[in-house]
Amino acid sequence: MQKNAKKGQGKLKGVLNRNISGWVLILPSVLLFTYIIWRPIIIGIAYSFFSLDGFSPAIFIGVSNYKDVLTDTNFLQTLWNTVQYVFWSLVIGFPLPFICAVMMNELVHCKSFFKISTYLPVIIPGIATCLIWKIAYMDGSGGLLNMVRYMFGAEATTWLSNKDQVIPLIIISMTWNTFGRTLVMYLSTLQGVNQELYEAARLDGAGLFGRIRYVLFPHMRGVLLLLLINQIIAVFNVTEQPLVMTSGGPNGASMSLGLTNYFYAFKYGQYEKSLALGVITFCLLSVLTFIYFMVDKRIND
Amino acid sequence: MNTTKPKRVTKFSTKTNGLLNYSDFATFKGKIIYAIIFLLMLTVSLICLVPVIWVAVSGFKDVSEMYAIPPTFFPKHFDFGKLLDFWNRVNVFKYFKNSLILIVGCLSFDIIANGLAGYVLSRIKPVGARVIEKMIFASMLLSGVSLIPLYISFVDVPFFHINLSGSYLPIWMMAGANAFNVLLFRNFFNGIPMSYLEAARIDGCTDLGIFGRIIVPMSKPIIMVVSIFSITGTWSNFMWPYLILGSTEKEPVSVMLYTLTSTVLRDDESMLLTMISIVPMIIVYAFFSKYIIGGVNMSGLKG
Repeated sequence: MQKNAKKGQGKLKGVLNRNISGWVLILPSVLLFTYIIWRPIIIGIAYSFFSLDGFSPAIFIGVSNYKDVLTDTNFLQTLWNTVQYVFWSLVIGFPLPFICAVMMNELVHCKSFFKISTYLPVIIPGIATCLIWKIAYMDGSGGLLNMVRYMFGAEATTWLSNKDQVIPLIIISMTWNTFGRTLVMYLSTLQGVNQELYEAARLDGAGLFGRIRYVLFPHMRGVLLLLLINQIIAVFNVTEQPLVMTSGGPNGASMSLGLTNYFYAFKYGQYEKSLALGVITFCLLSVLTFIYFMVDKRIND
Repeated sequence: MNTTKPKRVTKFSTKTNGLLNYSDFATFKGKIIYAIIFLLMLTVSLICLVPVIWVAVSGFKDVSEMYAIPPTFFPKHFDFGKLLDFWNRVNVFKYFKNSLILIVGCLSFDIIANGLAGYVLSRIKPVGARVIEKMIFASMLLSGVSLIPLYISFVDVPFFHINLSGSYLPIWMMAGANAFNVLLFRNFFNGIPMSYLEAARIDGCTDLGIFGRIIVPMSKPIIMVVSIFSITGTWSNFMWPYLILGSTEKEPVSVMLYTLTSTVLRDDESMLLTMISIVPMIIVYAFFSKYIIGGVNMSGLKG
C-alpha cells in the first residue's frame, strides 16, 4: 500500500518535472513570440485610440485617428490599388507555378536544368529582384524589355511610368522572384498522386484533359486552396516592391496599404495614422486568416 | 523464325508515372504535346535566367554602352579592374561582414528558439502546450501588420527602457519568432518514435539530456533545411534591417544595396552591386540545394 502511494508520488513528480522542463524549454520561444508578434498587435490596437506624445499615448481621442485615415483623400485609391495587386497576382502569379509544376512533372529531358533555372530567382534577394526589374523596365534604350522590343523592330516605350501598367509590372517581378518556391511545393505534392488512378482513368478512355480533371485536380485542390489564401495575404501586405521600384508613383498609382502605412510611419511621422491603418489592415487580414483556418480545417478533415 | 524487333529503350519508353506515360508517347499526338510542354518550359527557364545573366554582364558595360542605340546584350569587353575598383571604393567587404554577423545571430536564434519550441510542442506537450501552439501558429499570417508598435518595442524595450535601434539584436529576435520554422521542427520531431525517448527516460536521462544526446544528433536534416531558409532569408531581409540598422555602421548588404542604388550610384554600378549581392546566395544554394526539396516535404504540404 505504502509502496503504491510512493510509486504514485514518483509518477506525479515525473509528470510535474516533465511539465516544468517543457515550460522552461519553450520559454524563449513564448517570450519572443509575445514580444515580437502579440504585444505589438495589442499595443497597436490600444494606442490607436490615443494621440501620441512621441511614442507614448497621451490623450484618449476615440476613433478620430481612424477618421483621419478613412477620410484621407487617397485612402480609397490605395485600397483599390491593393485589391488590384491581389487581382493581378491571382491572374499572373497564381496559375503560373501550378501550370509549370504540372508540365515539369511530365518532362523526362533536362529535368535538373529546369529545376535549377526556375529556382534561381528564388535565391535572389527581394531587393536585388526589385533593382533588376526596375532596370529591366527602364524607359530608355538601356532597359531589357526595350532591348527586346528593339530586337523585334519596335520603338522603345514607357513601362513603370505608365500608370495603367505599373501594378501588373510590379506583380510580374514579384512572381518572377517567388514562383520557384511555390513550384517546388506543387512538384512535391504531385509526387503523391496515386499512379493507379491515372492507369484506371486511361483504361476508362480518359484523354489528357480527362486525367487532369478527374485525377490531378482533386488531388491538388487542397494545396491549391492553401497557397491561394497564403498568396492573397502576402500580396495584401505588399510594401517593399513599390517602395523600391516606384516609391508609390507615378502619381500614387502603385501605392499600397502597406506602403501607405510605411510612409505614415517613417516618412511623414504621422504615427497615429500609421497605427490606425495598421489596425484596419489587421482586421482585413484577420478575416482572410479566418477563412484560411476554415479551409485548412476542411482540408485536414 | 519470327523475331520481334527489340524495342529501343529510351527515356520515353521507361516513363510509367505522371499524366503522360510511354503509351501516350507512342502516338504522334503525345509527342507533339511533349514537344510543346518542353518548349514552354524552356521559355520559362529562359525568362528566369536571362535577367540574371543580363545584370551580371551589364555591370561591366561603361555608361555610354548602356544607353547605346542599338543596345547590346553583352558588353564589348569585360574589365575586371572595374569590379575590383568598385569593390574597394564602396568597401563592400564591410557590408558583407555585417551581413555575416546578422546571419550567424539569426541562425542561432532561429534554430535554438524555434527548434526547442517545435520539440516541446511535439514531444513533451506540457500543460498549456495547445494554447501556446495556437498562439504561435496564428501569428504566421499576421506578420507585417504592426509597423510602429514593433518599432516602439525596439526603441523602448519594456521594463528595461533601452533603445535597441542600431543594434543587431532586434533582427536576431525577429528570427527567433518564426512560426513556419516551429512548424517544420514540430513536424520533423513528430516523426521520431516516442519509444526512443521513453527508453532514454527509463535509463534516467533528463529531458534536457534527451534533447542534447538523442534529438540534436538526429535532427541534422531539419537543421540543414532551417539553416538554408534562415541564411537566404536573412541575406534578403530588407525592411527591418533598414529601419533598425539603416545609415549606421552595421548596415547589411541588402540595406546598402537599396540606400546606395537609390542615391549615389550610376545604373551600371547598380548592376554591378546587384550582381555582387547575388553571388553569395548562388554559392549557398549550390551547397544546400538537395535539402530544399526535403524541406518542402517536411513542411507537411504533401497532399
